[in-house]
Parts: sequence; structure tokens; C-alpha cells
Amino acid sequence: MQPIKMLVDFFDVRLGVRDLYDRELKGYLLPRNVNVWYTLGAVVLALFTLQIVTGIFLLMFYVPDSEKAFASVQYIVNEVPFGWLFRMLHAIGANVIMIALLLHMLSVLFMGSYKGRREFTWLSGFIILNLTMGLCLTGYLLPWSQLSFWATTVATDAAGAIPVVGEYLVEFLRGGPTVGNQTLGRFFALHVVGMPLVLLGLIGAHLFCVKRRGISPPPFGSDYRTTEELPFFEHEKHAGGIPFFPNYFVKDAAVICFFIAFLLAIIFYAPGLFFPESAFQPADPFLTPPHIKPEWYFLWAYQTLKIFPSEIVGLGVQGAFMTFLALLPFIDRGPERRPAKRPLFMTCYVLVILVFVAISIWGHYS
Amino acid sequence: MSRSVCCAFVLVMVACLSLPALLLADDTVCIQCHSGQSGSLEAPIAEWRTSIHAGNGISCHDCHGGDPTDFDMAMDSERGFIGAPDYVDVPAFCGRCHVGVFDAYRVGAHGEAIDEGGAQCVVCHGNHAIQNASLDLINEDDCSQCHAYERAALIRLSLVETDTMIIAAERDLDRLYRLGFAVDDMQGSLFNQRNSFHRIFHGVEVERVRQETAGVQSELGKISEEVAAIDSTLGQRKLWGSVVIGLFLLAGVIFLLVRKTYEEEEKS
Repeated sequence: MQPIKMLVDFFDVRLGVRDLYDRELKGYLLPRNVNVWYTLGAVVLALFTLQIVTGIFLLMFYVPDSEKAFASVQYIVNEVPFGWLFRMLHAIGANVIMIALLLHMLSVLFMGSYKGRREFTWLSGFIILNLTMGLCLTGYLLPWSQLSFWATTVATDAAGAIPVVGEYLVEFLRGGPTVGNQTLGRFFALHVVGMPLVLLGLIGAHLFCVKRRGISPPPFGSDYRTTEELPFFEHEKHAGGIPFFPNYFVKDAAVICFFIAFLLAIIFYAPGLFFPESAFQPADPFLTPPHIKPEWYFLWAYQTLKIFPSEIVGLGVQGAFMTFLALLPFIDRGPERRPAKRPLFMTCYVLVILVFVAISIWGHYS
Repeated sequence: MSRSVCCAFVLVMVACLSLPALLLADDTVCIQCHSGQSGSLEAPIAEWRTSIHAGNGISCHDCHGGDPTDFDMAMDSERGFIGAPDYVDVPAFCGRCHVGVFDAYRVGAHGEAIDEGGAQCVVCHGNHAIQNASLDLINEDDCSQCHAYERAALIRLSLVETDTMIIAAERDLDRLYRLGFAVDDMQGSLFNQRNSFHRIFHGVEVERVRQETAGVQSELGKISEEVAAIDSTLGQRKLWGSVVIGLFLLAGVIFLLVRKTYEEEEKS
């Protein structure tokens, strides 16, 4: 133990790491009734880290050129030692992140954790969700498969429905009139540099907001109190709460382990779950494959565009819904957070989830 | 949240489900025109839709020529329209794509007898509703309509084992392809062997079929060995994957047990 103590001493006298540990980890107290849903933020953070690590590995072999991209992915999967594992962790990991992010958002909505002057926490989280979907969309094109090519063609084409600027927007997104090498170049740059940088900043902002304002306690049990909106800033303390480290951290670690086990179970037992046949065919701009569908988390948007008589109406509804969701903490200002005491909100909550699931299933089978 | 905002939101979401889908037709002018006709002029459309040709994107104009984009010129010989071939011309008609099979057929007993009414492609395979060929096409009911079945039965017997190997190889390669394995070389080899195999029996010579299927089987055996090697790798991956999954689950349970001890400390 002596060398470890010497090492800690070395940093402590220079950076005060023991004080940091006492104040920010052991001294950071969480509500006593904090539940398992509060671990999802840590799960998302762990999965993002996994994406960065596997992404860097893939970057060593991937070639962002429409003539070589598909072959380079084939090379990674078939020739590079453990390349198949890194590719699967990255591609299937993106789906698992979306599951964790959606569960995180749904739990925050259910418990009304966005209330009590936590608008910035909610907004930064909501933008992280959208940015993650952007990362998924840009990453989807990179393998340059039939699925990549045509899904991106359909996705970028939707922007053309916007009046006046639609045509220019489509060309701006694609870097030309059609999806091609120039599209691959800009999606690649956004996927590996632009969006991750913004994402890191947003994650930092989100964590800052959570820490600065204080954790919103679960709205259950005898300790529950309504969340008043004070006219001044106040950090919500949890005197007598449980230390984040190591007491709650071990629960975070447990759920992270379960999520990684879930990810690995898909990789080893159902590797084709998120890969339709067109994901294994090289892109062919002259051959439109039948039944091209976006990933499951975009199916609701895809089907919404189809069921309206014009795409602009569909886009308008999507935009209105997402704007409403983004501004929810500014609209829903009541102090009550207990689900049972918010019947109107809970009815909408369940209804919207059901509609989303129904539209997504419809989109899958349409 | 105000009641009006909620109501408006719910109405918009319900409206999403109630509006009809916008459907776009992408059929050629051949299909559009013949769909509106009756009897033998309309029937091929429905038959073709069930065919392997339709499944592989082979449409009317690919066989019959013409311009599938222009109503006026669709059936004009200047645009390559050749219509339906006469009985004796069918082998050459199909043989424009199925070159190897045509070569074997025309020097075989069926091909040499075509002027006397010998069987040609559509007699066995049908025309517009054509399906992926299988050994079931060689059967007593159909063959004995023209000649005794004995020779056909011997040919079929010689083909069964190879046909089974080809079907198994197709299934295996498709499975590996769907897992991301590069099976292009093996698929190319299988494609060649399948074509050779089909060519062999269209000559309807029993001895030649027996001799040449041995060569095809040898090549198919090489594909099976490669597939077995990949399956062995997959088995090892699954084994080690299961171990790692088990370790993560175990770690998760240990962390939860540690959390339990902290909870007891927190209560005391």
C-alpha cells in the first residue's frame, strides 16, 4: 500500500485530490430513497465511453471514400483481429445507447424530475438525445452499404419538403444533388469530430446542471415534498443522504454491468437483430432495394412522413412535437411531481408512448 | 400543463393514425396497360408477380423487349420489341440469359427433337409464373406424358445428392453472409457449380450426368469445409462470449451485494 499512498500524496499536495474526493464524491449526497432509474445517466455515460473507444479503433482501418468504405468495413470485420467485435460493439452499442437514453428520458418524465428550475438540465439532456440520433444517422452512412446509401437518401430527401429552402437544404446536407462521396465526407467529419465534440460539451453542461442544482429526489414515500419554484438560486441539498461514492456508485456499476451483458448477449446470440440483408450489400445508386427502413428509433418519424398527405405536414407535426417536448419544463410548471396526482399528464404520457410504439410497428411492417 | 395544450396534442397524435397512406406506383407501362385488359392479356401480370423473375427484378421488357417507359412505343420493334416467341424459338429466347443451359439443351435429346415437338423450357418450367427450379420438376406424371420415365428417374437419382449439397451450401452461405462474413468467393464458386450442375442434366444423358456431378460435388465439398471452419470459429466466439457475459452478470450481482451492505450501514 505504501507506493499507492505515496502516489496519492504526490497528487494531493499539488492538486488537493483528497479534498476533491471528500467533497465531490464522498461528500456528494444523494436522496436516501434514490432508486434504480437514477443509474441510467451513468449507464449512458459508460456506453458513450465504449462508443468512443470502439470508434477510435474502427477509425484506424476505416476509409471514408465511397470506392473503399464498404471494403474497409469488410476488412475490419473479416481480417482485423477482433475487428468484428469492435464493429459489433460500436454498431449495436448505438442501439443500446438509444434504449438507455429513452428509458432515462421516460423515467425523468414519469417522476417529474425536470421540475423545480431544472429547465437547463432537461434541455441539455434533450439536445444530447437529438445529437445522439444525429450521430446514429451520420454513422449509418459510413459502411456505404445499400442500407446506408438508401436510408440516407430517404432521410435527406425529407428535408426537401420544407418550403423555399428545402431544395437548398437537401443539397447542403448531401454536398450535391445526390448522396455520394461528398456526402460521405461530410457525414464522416460530423460523425467522428464535429458531433462528438459538441456532445462532450453538452454532457459536461448536463452534469454541471445536475450537480449545481442538485439531484431531484424521487417523488415517492413519506419524505416527498412538492417542488417549489423559488425566486432565487438554491442548491437542493440532501442532508442525511447517502454518499455518491462508494455507496451509490456500486449500484451504477451493477446496472452498467447488466447493460454491457445485454449488449454482449445481442452480439453473441442475435447478431443480425439490427442488420437487415441490405446492410451487407455494397451501395448501388442504380438499384433501389425493396423495403428500406430506418433504424427502430427513427421508424416513428419515417411513418409520420408517410401517413400525412404531404411531407411538409408530417415534418411540421414532428417539429411541433419535438419543440413541445423540448419546452416541457417551461409549460408544465405545477409543483406536483407524484405520478398518481398528475392524471392528465400521465394519461398523455401513456398515450404518447402507445402511439409511438404503434406508429413504429406500423412503419416496420408498412 | 394547461388542459387545452394537452387536448390539442392528443388530437394531433390521433390524427397521425387516421390519415391514409400515400402510395406511389412504380410499375412499367407494360404492367399498367395489361393490368387493365382481360383474359390471356391480363393473366401474365399476376403470374409474373409470383415468379422468381419478378423477385430478381426481371420485368416484361427484359424478355420481350420494347420500351417500358413509353406507352406509344412500348410494343414497337424499333425499340426492340419481339413479343412472344414461337414454340421452337423458346429455347433461344430463354437462352439469351441462360446461356450454359441452352448450350447443353440443344445438343441433348430434348433439343434435338424440338422440331418434332420435343420438350422446350416452358414445357417443364412454365412461363410467366416460373419458380426457382428444383428436382421436383423431374417427376413421373410430367415426364411420362411424352416418354417412359425410367431414364428420367435414373437422372434424378444421380442428381439428388448434389442438389441436396447445393441447397445446404446456399443456406449456409446466406447465414454467414447475414453475419457479415465475406463469402463472395464461396458464393462465386457455388454460382459456378450450380450453373455447371444445371447445364449437365439439361443434356439428359445419364452417364454424362454421373461423371460430371462427381466434379461438382468435389467443389461443393471445398465450400462445406470452409463453412465448417467458420462455424467452428463462431462456436468458439459464442463460448467465450458466454463466459464474458457471465462475468459481467456476476460482477453486477457482486456490486448489488456490496450495495446491500451499504444499505444496512445506512439504516443503522
